[in-house]
Amino acid sequence: MIEILRMATPLTVWLAGFSGIYGLHGLLCSARGAWLFGLTGNMLLVLAWLLLVLLQAALLYGLSYRFASPAPFCRWVSMAAAAASLVASLWSLFPVVAISHCL
Amino acid sequence: MNVLARHRALQRIWASEPGFRGWFTTVNHNDLGRMFMAASICFFIIGGLLAMLIRAQLATPRSAFMEPETYAQVFTMHGTIMMFLFAIPLFEGFTVYMLPKMLGTRDLAYPRLSAYGFWCYAFGGSMLIVALLAGIAPDSGWFMYPPLTSKLNSHGINTDFWLIGITFVEISAISAAVEIVVSVLRFRAPGMSLASMPVYAWYALVVAVMILTGFPPLILGSILLELERAFGMPFFQVSAGGDSLLWQHLFWLFGHPEVYIIFLPAAGVISTILPVMARTTLLGYGWVVASAIALAVLSFGLWVHHMFTTGIPHLGLAFFSAASTLVAVPTGIQVFAWIGTLWKGRPKMHLPMRWLIAFFATFVIGGLTGVMVAVVPFDWQVHDTHFIVAHLHYVLVGGFVFPMLAALYYWLPQVTGRRRFFKLGEVAFWLIFLGFHVTFLAVHWAGLVGMRRRIFTYESGQGWEVINLVSSIGSFVMAIGFAMVVVDIAFNVWAANRGSRDPWRAGTLEWAMPTPSPAYNFASLPWIDARDPLYRDPELPARIARGEGLLGDPARGRRETLTVDVASGKPDAIVVFPGNTVLPIVMAFVTGGIFVGMLLKIYWLIPIAAAGVLALALRWAWSQGARPDEGMLPAGHGLSLPLASASLAPPGWWGSLFLLVADAVFFGSLLFGYAFLWTVAPNWPPPEFLVPGLAGPGLGLAGIILMPLATRLSEARLKDGRPLAVPLGLLFVGTMSVALAAVVVMVTAPGHDSHAYGATLWVLSGYLLLHAAVVGVMILFIAAQARAGYLSKERRGALRIVRLWSDYTATVAAISLIAIYLPGALA
Repeated sequence: MIEILRMATPLTVWLAGFSGIYGLHGLLCSARGAWLFGLTGNMLLVLAWLLLVLLQAALLYGLSYRFASPAPFCRWVSMAAAAASLVASLWSLFPVVAISHCL
Repeated sequence: MNVLARHRALQRIWASEPGFRGWFTTVNHNDLGRMFMAASICFFIIGGLLAMLIRAQLATPRSAFMEPETYAQVFTMHGTIMMFLFAIPLFEGFTVYMLPKMLGTRDLAYPRLSAYGFWCYAFGGSMLIVALLAGIAPDSGWFMYPPLTSKLNSHGINTDFWLIGITFVEISAISAAVEIVVSVLRFRAPGMSLASMPVYAWYALVVAVMILTGFPPLILGSILLELERAFGMPFFQVSAGGDSLLWQHLFWLFGHPEVYIIFLPAAGVISTILPVMARTTLLGYGWVVASAIALAVLSFGLWVHHMFTTGIPHLGLAFFSAASTLVAVPTGIQVFAWIGTLWKGRPKMHLPMRWLIAFFATFVIGGLTGVMVAVVPFDWQVHDTHFIVAHLHYVLVGGFVFPMLAALYYWLPQVTGRRRFFKLGEVAFWLIFLGFHVTFLAVHWAGLVGMRRRIFTYESGQGWEVINLVSSIGSFVMAIGFAMVVVDIAFNVWAANRGSRDPWRAGTLEWAMPTPSPAYNFASLPWIDARDPLYRDPELPARIARGEGLLGDPARGRRETLTVDVASGKPDAIVVFPGNTVLPIVMAFVTGGIFVGMLLKIYWLIPIAAAGVLALALRWAWSQGARPDEGMLPAGHGLSLPLASASLAPPGWWGSLFLLVADAVFFGSLLFGYAFLWTVAPNWPPPEFLVPGLAGPGLGLAGIILMPLATRLSEARLKDGRPLAVPLGLLFVGTMSVALAAVVVMVTAPGHDSHAYGATLWVLSGYLLLHAAVVGVMILFIAAQARAGYLSKERRGALRIVRLWSDYTATVAAISLIAIYLPGALA
């Protein structure tokens, strides 16, 4: 089962992060002007995006080395999934740095 | 024992009852797979006839062929039947029939569950067809948007048929999904590691997980809308704190993955058939598997692209537009892997190959128009036009129907044991392919010149007349083609000559058995260490028949197969399957009583039917237990294995695990809905909050602490061989404490029909109460089993299943009670 988890975790983390940041966006828009520790809504979204990207990079590194599967096929698939998740995190959420968040 | 004697002995053990009675008592995957496929094809024919009615109506302007009310029912039922009663069940039926053969095992993990799922599908689907014949079918479009479907705008029973009928059918999808996941992970040929699984098994696994995670939001949405219609709980009424957009979110959280739930099985079929037709092996197996996984997960991040015109903020549009374009990448990787496979092989243009070529031509066009509508400004222009109708038909017919026609002709010799003789299929191919493109290229065009979807007629002079007439002519040509396929198959099933065992010279295990396959599939279970074992060892079928694999000796006289380690495929236990029984069909019938009671508002019927389901479920579970400790049993080749009932994670534990995954998604969707209403819906915050007293939180906290402690204490005592009365009693007290906490919420919450807040608290506490009741029944059941000698130091698996459910209930109780009481506490 651990092999299945290795393959499924990176993309699941992307999905959770993507949905979470979309939800955060909804929350910030519904409470206009809200801030946390001096951060504006835009800054919070960018911070959340960067955290997700860092997490995905760490997963890719971990699944390549420290938590790599002993089975070559499973290692390959889990690394491919982690790489795809990193690209997905960069691409699908980059609008946080390009578009005003409650327009 | 010679080959014939072994065959006779195994056939005696595994065969269904003869004659008509066998249809109702069979639990064999061969029978149930065929029944599933036959039923789904019947529904396809009904859906196809409705499509012809639609095209007849639209062929000319101001057509008087149908009244608008009838037209609304016809297009709603066309979409509903094709999505819920044809596409998904055809995948289920095909997989139920073929997967055990591909995996090298004798049946799926839960034979009775296969039968129960089939009968729920048959009864639920029949309810919808009865509604259609009676003229009271759903009429609000296949996605049932409120407020059109709310009680104010849809007074009759039409919408209820959809909400209740589809939920009944979805029991079948969830059952099949649990079955498929556990079968792929645990029920494989000995030695078959994840790396050597046939590629279709990967697709089936991915699709089944998608069903478990994609269907619960729709089930939740259907329940909430039905609660609104029946009891006035205003989840979708803006004036009372609801929001109709919540339905769209819940529906498309299911609806977009649904597209891939339909496409991915077809992709699995292509990845299996294409290399055989090209006389080579699949190029980039690892890439294809990784792409299927990526496609599945990415598809869950696209749902809002169906809602681009609802006025959501630009940043949200940009997120989902970007994600929608991204999903083309894993799809493209698979398409390139297939093209590469063709390139490295020597393709032969047999009939299945023609359908695959038709798939390429059609699906790529559908994929490209999909990228077009992922671009927000273009989507704003074509939203709700016939362009979208054409796009979705290119994706679904090109991406599912054409590959499944390839599958039909490819595996027909395996199912019938006959060599195709009548060649109507080639003519049918051209009629369907050309008819389809004439129909839907024209529909694209109609959409681009502004024709809205779902309109029952149009005025002349808008430039739509010729386009629609051409489209309708094309559709009738296509229908003639499909009729010829039916005739072709019927001839070849009943009148063609006997064929050889492996006519395509394929390498996968379904061709390693006699055709049509015997009820037990494999006379012995072969050791497998390659993806195409018949290429590596052409003598394998003979060796299987001679009993040279595992479990080749039927001396124990019961239905046995093996479970294996998930990753390595090392055999770890022997499973004993149940025999033929009427229990599944009776239970499906009684389950139907719950749904009929809700549909016809005969509320007294619901608790009676629910009690009947409970009694039958207890009988079902009781018959699974084993009393004597059989120890290690010989499995062949000097290997001895324990029974699965003596393992710490028996098949029932695995099934519960994946059922709870679906359950958790349902719960997560409910919390999402609560948060959505709180943050987005107008008329929030509610006029009054539920203020936490001492009773509700106190009872809940006591139960949440007691339940996990008591389950672990029970396990420790069973391991030591000590009585379970005290820890099971504590567990029961903890569970009832959670149940009482839920009742306190129901009693003290604001009215369920005055504001969506109160309604949500009712649903959350109802969910909690239901789970506490289930765990309570499980505790009483396990206590009775312990008393009757079904539990021992060696047989602790059943208690582990209770622990799984108990831990889940304690967890959702903690989250629910925080969600229920926190707003009131803060306010």
